[in-house]
Amino acid sequence: MKLMKIIILGFGAVGRGVARVISMKKEYLKSRYDLDLEIVAVTDSSGASINPEGLDEELLLQIKEEKGEISLYPHYGAPGMESLQVLDEVDYDCLVEVTPTDIDDGEPGHSHIIKAMQDGKDVVTSNKGPLALSFQELAECAHSNGVEFKFEASVGGAMPIINFAHETLAGCNIESIYGILNGTTNYILSRMANEGSSYEQTLKEAQEMGIAETNPYQDVEGIDAACKIVILANSILNLPVTLKDVEVEGISRITSESIALAKKEGLLIKLIGEASPDSLEVSPRLVRQGSPLDVEGTLNVATVKTDLADDVTVVGKGAGSVETASAILSDIISIWKTRR
Amino acid sequence: MRLNLVLDLPDVPGQLMEALEPMGRLGANIVAVIHQRDFKTERGTVPVQITIEGDKETLDKVMDALESKDIQILEVDNVLRKEQISTILVGDIIEEDMQNTMAYLNQLEGVRVADLDLKMSDNPKNSATKMVMEADFGLKNEVLKKVKELGAKKGFLVINEI
Repeated sequence: MKLMKIIILGFGAVGRGVARVISMKKEYLKSRYDLDLEIVAVTDSSGASINPEGLDEELLLQIKEEKGEISLYPHYGAPGMESLQVLDEVDYDCLVEVTPTDIDDGEPGHSHIIKAMQDGKDVVTSNKGPLALSFQELAECAHSNGVEFKFEASVGGAMPIINFAHETLAGCNIESIYGILNGTTNYILSRMANEGSSYEQTLKEAQEMGIAETNPYQDVEGIDAACKIVILANSILNLPVTLKDVEVEGISRITSESIALAKKEGLLIKLIGEASPDSLEVSPRLVRQGSPLDVEGTLNVATVKTDLADDVTVVGKGAGSVETASAILSDIISIWKTRR
Repeated sequence: MRLNLVLDLPDVPGQLMEALEPMGRLGANIVAVIHQRDFKTERGTVPVQITIEGDKETLDKVMDALESKDIQILEVDNVLRKEQISTILVGDIIEEDMQNTMAYLNQLEGVRVADLDLKMSDNPKNSATKMVMEADFGLKNEVLKKVKELGAKKGFLVINEI
């Protein structure tokens, strides 16, 4: 049995999900992969908790829930300690970067990832900001430092698309990818189609239910989906593009009248992201009822167009703490397989 | 030689006779006609499969005659000739003159607006129109691009098919 030490930067929903799945799967990982996964440091806005011998996942979750600050972890708390300092001082193998997405400058995620790579550490992230703004720089940095860089959780949460395209569809030439990459907009449009309700009313309800954020701008205006299109375009189609290259139209102008007209013809309106060498676009599109893109609620779906396998479609939960963490865990295991 | 056609006929009496007329008149031999009124297109038209036989010259004349009668030929020997393209526009549609929008699309080569559905809203800016266009096969991306350009110019939200 071998040891893999990880640092989790960011202890929001995804970070906590990672701690939870590690706790849940500890024995399974030992028996199935001969992998002893240990969290040696965690940070949040309050500081850090650090133990080179491994922190207790359940205690981490309990402290965060009860006290809100990870630096209050008994005996191993380090209030006010900065993430970059943690990366300097703690011995680890793999960084799990799950701080919040920032689409203006990609920070602090960008600096965390670069630092870890330059220190020769592998990186797994769900953070869309640095990927959407400087994918090529990060990929080159990983390459030149000989480290693994994985980000399955950044697109579609638990929906497997990046590793699926690279590994399962290996040998196929992938011509384009399109799909529903944002659960909030899909929820709103599904409700509007089912109930004939207005956009404003449905958004308000989605906010009350906690599905849409208080500030829903990035979701409803298509920015979140555009970040994911950039990641897919770079990682699967090898297109060196950034967020500014995507043509974006959100769903805030969709009316109940337009949805009714579409329904009359057996069509649905969905916010679709599309990446191909000719087009990088996020916009409302007409989708036939009963087609693979006809998914309801907060589900995500992506269709990959290939030369050998024709169209292949995957569906999965686009968000959720444990679901997204499942993608991070699969990246960690994949790194483990290459490293051992 | 033999020719397999799929025609797109309006679902009104006399249309099938109208389509068969030049075939008989010009001396083509009708091998098969599959006409099932239960199967309709989205627009309510009936696709009719017809197989005819004759020498090349006769068959060419039949095709010319069908076209001059404005009978829509969807497929020739399993090759699609026309495809349907749906789009929805949202915005101040009356103000921006629906007729003008249709005229713009109709003047594109190989394109014709085949169906139009309009839904007005209490707020005129939220009105919606759905258009089905028929275009020569292979023009789809070009047509969708033109619709987007038009939408941008007139301030419409364009919802094209995927």
